[in-house]
Formats: sequence, C-alpha cells, structure tokens
Amino acid sequence: MDFRLPAENDPRRAVVRKWLSEHPKPSGRQLAEAGYTVPHWPKPWGVAAEPELQFIIDEEMGRAGVMPPNLINPVAVNNCAQTLLSHGTDAQHERFLMPALACEEIWCMLFSEPAGGSDLAALRTTARRDGDHYVVKGQKTWTSLAHKAQIGVLIARTDTAAPKHAGLSAFLMDMKSPGVTVRPIIDLSGCKNEYNEVFLDDVRVPADRLLGKEGEGWRIATSQLQTERVALSKPGAIWGAGPSARDLVNGLAVSGHLSDPVVRDEAAKIFIEGELLRLLAYRALSDRMNAKPSGPEGAIRKMLAAPHGQHIVEMAKKVQGPRGMIAGEQPFPSQVGSGKGMFADWDYAFWFSPAVTLGVGTQEILKNIVAERTLGLPRENDPTAKLPWTEINRAKSA
Amino acid sequence: MNFLLDEDHLALKQSAAVFLDKEIVLDALLKPGASVDQANYRGNWEKIAAMGWTGITVPESYGGLGLSCVDVAMVLGEMGRTLAPSPFLGNLIGTWALLRLGTEEQKQRILPAVAAGTARLALAVGDAAGDVADHSRELGAERSAQGFLLKGARAFAIDAAGADWLIVDAHNAETGRRGFFLVDTKSDDLTVDIMNWRDLTRQVCDVRLNGCVGEELAPLTPADWAWVRDRILFALAAECAAGTQQILSMTAEYAKERVAFGKPIGSYQAIKHSLADMLGQAECANVAVLYAAWALSEEAPQASLAAAMAKAFAADAYVDCTHRSIQIFGAIGFTWEMKNHLYLKRAHANAELFGNSRAHRSRVIDLAQQAAA
Ligand SMILES: Cc1cc2nc3c(=O)[nH]c(=O)nc-3n(C[C@H](O)[C@H](O)[C@H](O)COP(=O)(O)OP(=O)(O)OC[C@H]3O[C@@H](n4cnc5c(N)ncnc54)[C@H](O)[C@@H]3O)c2cc1C
Repeated sequence: MDFRLPAENDPRRAVVRKWLSEHPKPSGRQLAEAGYTVPHWPKPWGVAAEPELQFIIDEEMGRAGVMPPNLINPVAVNNCAQTLLSHGTDAQHERFLMPALACEEIWCMLFSEPAGGSDLAALRTTARRDGDHYVVKGQKTWTSLAHKAQIGVLIARTDTAAPKHAGLSAFLMDMKSPGVTVRPIIDLSGCKNEYNEVFLDDVRVPADRLLGKEGEGWRIATSQLQTERVALSKPGAIWGAGPSARDLVNGLAVSGHLSDPVVRDEAAKIFIEGELLRLLAYRALSDRMNAKPSGPEGAIRKMLAAPHGQHIVEMAKKVQGPRGMIAGEQPFPSQVGSGKGMFADWDYAFWFSPAVTLGVGTQEILKNIVAERTLGLPRENDPTAKLPWTEINRAKSA
Repeated sequence: MNFLLDEDHLALKQSAAVFLDKEIVLDALLKPGASVDQANYRGNWEKIAAMGWTGITVPESYGGLGLSCVDVAMVLGEMGRTLAPSPFLGNLIGTWALLRLGTEEQKQRILPAVAAGTARLALAVGDAAGDVADHSRELGAERSAQGFLLKGARAFAIDAAGADWLIVDAHNAETGRRGFFLVDTKSDDLTVDIMNWRDLTRQVCDVRLNGCVGEELAPLTPADWAWVRDRILFALAAECAAGTQQILSMTAEYAKERVAFGKPIGSYQAIKHSLADMLGQAECANVAVLYAAWALSEEAPQASLAAAMAKAFAADAYVDCTHRSIQIFGAIGFTWEMKNHLYLKRAHANAELFGNSRAHRSRVIDLAQQAAA
C-alpha cells in the first residue's frame, strides 16, 4: 500500500509537459489524437494509461489550464463513449468515437421521460422497425446539452410485448434529424438551457445506429449510469467540478470566518469528508482502466459526494449572511477556488446544488442500490417488473 | 501510488481474525451485572502474548516484531472488531511512548521483556478532566537524591492496572516544563485503581503517585509528544473503523432476518437507507485509518493531519452507527444480553479518550492550513 502521489520530478510528467509546450492551447482534436481525452482507454483512443499516469495527465492538464474535455462533452467522454467502445460495431467506432472525444460532436443522453425518471424502464418512447430504419416516437425530458448536441444516446422501447426492462434498445440518434424538437427548460437558478425537453415525432433512425442488440437497452443504460457515477464522484461540489472543500477552508481563512468556532467545526467536518472522498476516488482509479464499468463502489461514492458538494456550497453561502441572497454575490475573493467552467462561480454552484442529489440517480435510488448490491438487503419490489409492457399500461388506464 | 493492501497485510489481518474469532468470548460480559472483571483480560493477554503481539511495534533489534503502523492497523482492526478485552492497546501505547521518549539504556532494559511478554508498559498522561495537553500540573516532579519524586495523580490511563512500568508526564518543578518519567509499578508509593468505566471491555485507570521515584526519560522536543499522540489517535481510530464495519455487518444481517408485517425489516427503506448511510461512514472511516497508518509508517509530513482526521471521523462514525444499530435491532438491541451495547460503549469511550472529535477537527483546520501554506 502506498498513498504517495506521483512526484513532481516523475519522468512521466516530462512527457506530458513536453507535449503541452508543443501544444500550448490544444484543440479538442489534438487532445483526442494524443490519447489525452481518455488516457485510460486502450490505444488508439487513449494511451492505455494506468491509474498513476492518468492522474499525472489530469494534473498536468489542469495546471496548464486546459479545459477538461469531460466538462465540454460530458455525456460522451464520461459515459456513453465507453459503452460505444464495448458495445458498438467497428463501423460505429470509426464514425462516432473520434468526433466525440475531440468534442467536435457534442452528445446528450436521451434517457429520462415524463413517465420514466427513477423508474427509467417505465419509459414510453417507442422505436418501431420499418425496413432499414427505426421510427421513433415519444418525448424525452431533463436532457442536458440537447440544445448543443449532434448525437443523442437514446433509450427507446423496441418490443412493447416484452417486460419493461427487456423491451428496451439503445440508439445513436442524429439530433438534427427531422422530427426532433428541442425546447429549453429553465431551471431554478434561472440559467437557460441547462436542460431541455426533446420531442421525437416519427424520427427515422437508420438501423445501423442501433447500439448493441435489440433488447440490450437496459444493460447499456445501467452500465452508462455506473460509469457516470464514477466520473462524477470527485470532491468538487458540483458533479466533481466546482469548488472543493479545500477551496472552502481557504476561502473561510481569507474571509476570517474560521475564528468562529461553529464555522470552524463545520468547515473541518466538510474538509475531512472531502479528503476522504478524494482518497476513495484515488482508490477507485485502479478500476477505471480499460473502460471497465465499475461496480457498486461508484454508487457509494456518488451517494457520499453529492451531499458533500451541497455541504461545501451551503457553508459558503451561510457565512455570507443576507448578502448571499443578492444574485451573483460571491462569498470569497475571486482568486479562491479551483472550480472550472460555470461551476467556478460559488453563487451559481450553490443554486445549482439541489440538482446533484437528483441527476444520475436520486439519493434515495443510490441508497437502494448501495444497500441491495453491497449489503445484500432485499430488492425493492416492482409489481410491474415481470408483466408484459402492454399489460402494465392497460392496468393503469383501467 | 497503490491504495490497496498488499498480500502480506491481508494475510496478517486474516490470521488475526481467525485467532480472535476463536479465542475471544464475550459471553460473560453479556450477563447483567457483569463488569470488566469478567472480561478475561488476563487470559486473553496470555494468548495474545503467545502470538508475539506484545512486541508488535518493538524493533527487531530489541527482540520484537518491528511491524509498521499499516501492519498494526491489521491487528488492531481485528481487536477492535472483536472488542478483544486485553491490555494490548495500553501496552502498545506505552511501547510507542518508550520508543520515542526513552533513552537507549531504558529501551535496552525494558523492550526485550515487553517483546517476550514478561513485562508490560502503559502510559498515564490524562488529568482529572481527561485532558492530555501539556499544561496539566496535577502531577509534579521534584528532583531529589533518589531521582525525581512524583506527587499527584493521572487519570484515564489505559491498562495501567497490571502494568510493570508506567510512563507518566509531570510538571517538572526544576525546568517549569513538561517532562516524561518512567515509574516502576512495584513502588509502594503508587496506587492504580480501575475506574468504573462504561466500556466493559477495557481497563481505564486512576493512578495516584505519592512521592514515588521516577526515572527521567530522554529530553523532550515538541515533535516527540506529537509522534506518540498521533499514533495513539491512529490506534483508537483503527478500533473505531473496524468496530463500525462490524456493527454494520451485524445489523445488516439482522435486518435480513427479522420480519415485521410479513417482510424482512431490511426491505423497508427507512432501515435500508440507514444501513446505506452506515456503509458510507464505514468506507470513509476505513480509508481514513489506512491513510493515517501509511502516513505514520512513512513518517510523512501529513501524518499528524491524517491521524487527527482519522480519529475525528472514525470516532463519530462509530458513535453514530452503534446508535443506529440499536434502533434497527429494536428493543432487543437495548438489552444487556446483546453485544450492541458493548460496541456503543466502546464507541463513546474511544470518542472521549485523547481528545474529542471537535478538538481534533479544530487541529485539522490548523494542520490543513499549514500543509497548504
Ligand atoms: C440537472 C439535471 C440534469 C439531468 N440531465 C439528464 C440528462 O441529460 N438525461 C437524462 O436522461 N436525464 C437527465 N436528468 C434526469 C434525472 O436522471 C432524473 O431527474 C432522475 O432519474 C430522477 O427522476 P425524476 O426526476 O423523474 O424523479 P422521480 O423518479 O419522479 O422521483 C421523485 C422522488 O421520488 C423518489 N423515488 C422514486 N422512486 C423511488 C424508490 N423506488 N424509492 C425511494 N424513493 C423513490 C426519488 O428519489 C425522488 O425523491 C437530469 C436531472 C437533473 C436534475
């Protein structure tokens, strides 16, 4: 056992630094072609980096101020591309992987529906085979990035006679296809286009866009959600990005609040949580090699990381007092914080934070998963699980 | 960078588990009215001595096993899991103190006997309020012809009863500073009483020194006490983390078996989610302890921070999870005859010994800022 992180003079850093000096402002394509977008993937997509090298690359990229591709194209880089790698055909790899990793084609995840959130397999969107196409009909919702996306990873029902989980299939759908309508949903932060609803009116999807086989949709969807849980469980407040507990303690030190014993104690609790989550994340790095989806450890860390993130931004907001209720007001001088992108904004991160215990599995669903898979407690009873899909709906409308 | 345990560590943990599962029987403590006198303290210690663990951290040059804190975490974890009543912890703490604070001559005189299991050490540094910081003057040391005469008291001394040598800290009248002294417990001017401590699996003691002679230990630097303290915090945390894991397992098993309203209680989400929360705490406590064990083994600069985090987190997790366990067991969990209360009491007791979680969290803030600077 050795908790030592790679040293500053580690020769592997030199390779990355040299590349960065030759590519001072790397494009998405340059990063992807160098294998730095998904370093842990096998070649040619990644550099087959073991966890330590992966850590070094992440760290060096961060220091060089490179915007991480997994924040630009999170759906592709963090999850769906991995399932494409394991379930897709060679032709699909050829067509989709590089543009996705290069962040030239943004992806979105068309899973949730008005009638299928936590109970995803209850979704109603259908994909009916018609010659060499599928015809897709239904509505998706809460789709992050749909307004920017070229590619939507769609879960739809191809067999309405099968039980709810068995009748699902996964597709790589072109978001510019006729019949796709994207409408923004304004979230409580007031930020436009965080997520969207997507209407699918007889959208024709070529049959070669089926991912895996018909009926494998549930397996593909759950493995994607699991890889996402791993990806999201870094100690930053919002989906692993955003301010961290270390930033919080630095901020409170600068603002003088650490002399208040109550603030000090709360801040220390949050700091410790953050450090332990960091250690758990390092430990999980070893499972992340070769696009291997993780087991329940990912769910455990998401279960811990999401409320931890909320604690960070709540504490920062609390010390602001009434000033914190002024839109856009920051708790600390702007130099405090390692957050990236829009989550570098403490005020926005606070107002966004209720979402982190909802998206990608609500806290309740995660606790069910953890208790069932890790502790072997009885599974939740779903009276609709074994019925043919058509009968469930008949029972409901009756 | 490799955050997993090596084969050797796992093997050590496994052998400790097999041994303790076989030897540790807590039945006598589960009879109402039982006290620590029924804990088989001496009998367990003899068996532990036969395993060679009396000298687990004594360097090989003094006849011990010379194991690292990561190894110690394996054994201590199993001790914590089984609650193993014995002076293992007190002797371990005393050994660390002598290793760091003793002179070479003292170490050569005492450590081989400790390793052989023929002498036992303990540390007595708490004042009447349980404070272990260095400003306590409840015990004073004055130089005399025979050596230093120690007058006063120490409390909350783990396993002082039955120890052959005590290491105490005292206010040295000559220097006006804290000093550490070695006391032979055969002295007539010393009394040790086992306190009426709630944790029935542990002997925590009052020590009264009525002018007994103490040998001065090596001159002290501030880093010396920190070295000993960090190891004590780690040891208590290791017991807490393993106890948390154990109470989680016991409670999850019970939740699968106990039926109410026609279903196992573990199918109700209030129970399920509480167990998931316990699991999260157990995971974090475990990684906190391993990190501290590693940092101490390596004498890494973040060792004090890691030890403080581990003690604060693991103790709180243990207290919370033992409480939840009793709720999930229901009324049976509230009886003397079940083990739950032994764990609950160990959790609360460990949380209070050597500084509570709040105190350590306050230190965490300072240490984190030093580390960041
Ligand atoms: C910011 C954000 C971005 C998102 N992005 C996407 C995206 O890009 N693509 C996508 O497909 N989806 C996305 N989602 C949707 C997300 O996956 C769903 O919100 C989530 O699965 C929960 O579904 P729901 O909102 O319908 O809540 P519901 O399933 O209706 O749940 C409501 C409440 O009931 C509880 N509940 C439900 N079932 C159980 C149960 N069995 N036991 C206990 N409690 C239960 C839930 O925990 C919750 O508290 C996003 C959500 C958010 C907030």
